[in-house]
Amino acid sequence: MKDELRGLPLAKAPDSIWESIEASLDAPLAGRLAGHRPAPLAMFAVAAAAVIAVGVWFMTRPPKAAWDVVRVDGKLTKHGKIEVGEWLQTDGSSRARISVGDIGTIDVAPNTRVRMVASQPGEQRLRLARGEISASVTAPPRLFFVDTPASTAVDLGCAYTMKADQDGNGLLRVTLGWVSLEWEGREALVPAGASCRSRPKIGPGTPYFDDASQGLQDALASFDFGGGRPALDSGLDTVLAEARVRDTLTLWHLLSRVEPAERQRVYNRIIDLVPLPKGVSPDKALQLDPETLKLWREELAWKW
Amino acid sequence: MVAGLSDREITADIIESCRQGDRDAFRALYEAYKDKVYSIALYFFHGDETAASDMTQQVFLKLIHGIAQFRGDAGFSTWLYRLVVNACMDGARRAKPRELAASPDAVDGLAGPDSQEQDFAREQTARSVRTALSALPVKFRLPILLRYFEDLSYGEMAAAMNCSMGTVASRLNRGHKMLARKLESLR
Repeated sequence: MKDELRGLPLAKAPDSIWESIEASLDAPLAGRLAGHRPAPLAMFAVAAAAVIAVGVWFMTRPPKAAWDVVRVDGKLTKHGKIEVGEWLQTDGSSRARISVGDIGTIDVAPNTRVRMVASQPGEQRLRLARGEISASVTAPPRLFFVDTPASTAVDLGCAYTMKADQDGNGLLRVTLGWVSLEWEGREALVPAGASCRSRPKIGPGTPYFDDASQGLQDALASFDFGGGRPALDSGLDTVLAEARVRDTLTLWHLLSRVEPAERQRVYNRIIDLVPLPKGVSPDKALQLDPETLKLWREELAWKW
Repeated sequence: MVAGLSDREITADIIESCRQGDRDAFRALYEAYKDKVYSIALYFFHGDETAASDMTQQVFLKLIHGIAQFRGDAGFSTWLYRLVVNACMDGARRAKPRELAASPDAVDGLAGPDSQEQDFAREQTARSVRTALSALPVKFRLPILLRYFEDLSYGEMAAAMNCSMGTVASRLNRGHKMLARKLESLR
């Protein structure tokens, strides 16, 4: 059978693919940032084309520690370029789009305050002090970072929105790929379709899918940030009771967050929903062996 | 001159030229990998040529766009195939509610360009393999495609799929067994 697999013919890629790529590379930036609302695939192509056009243009120029800012609506405190250390602020009726070098774009929503922190090979970093941004990044993983008062969003090749309120509380919602939300050694891996809250001095909470039950989402907030033993206990009870197969995303993260006495309950609920895969030792999982947890996560992730 | 390049011939010079925005270098890179990427997509998406074309275009746009930031601390092909894996997984996620078993008609369309001239029995076998492969669950289909179309090592596959080599070996093993069972029922 392996010989038969090796003998499978390669299919020839249609010439039209390169033609489309070239068209994207040649497309002028003007006109792509405005206009009608296209279908999702066309929207991706337009966004990618805009990003590529900016990227190619950037590649032909000496590198600068500045990003382009385009006003979309209203008045901005800054437009044209934003440099390291500078702030950009939108009011209640203004929006902006930032081209982050040649790796992606950030849409800045109304009532948002952001600061460019770093722009250098290996690190593009933005601080979101308050408000909301939507980022679309097509760079190698761990190159683009968004700091908020409560956590840092590390791009793993994705698109997402990040909100921060006046108190610094954050909400990450991932729409494509994965984001790692990190703070002082605490980490949440958030896939497309999932969200994660964060709080100052606590860091990221536990990620959950947006289609999880409201009861689970509320209980998780109580568990993560509610404080006090009763909140922890009742929160965990509800999360375990309402978890679906897909919510093993949440349960897997909880394994290392609950008290040792409760870990067995979380473990039991996961394997109720998805049988323990080969190679994952129950003992090592309960001891939070990093390699075992990683292997288990990789298997569970096929259900996420 | 670009059409004959293999992945082994994608040198640091070509990648560096791409980083400088050299369109010919982009084309060289594309020519070297396009059929492999397209083939993976075609088999992955059950012979759907439109989906395969879209995914191939998406992968190369991301690659061209991101290559200026490519630091070379990981292999180029590892990065490329990670893009392929991500695109496949995103495509599968979007298609989840409507994803069906392989359509034999669609998969039949994957015959090689000279299949008319091939021995009938051999072509029948290849067709069965394609049908069985296309019907595998995503988690087993992807490693087999990477292994047999790209000839990636376990280490390269693990890096591309962001998992351990043990997981790769396990999925390949189980994928082979499932394929064998499916082939039995097709023959």
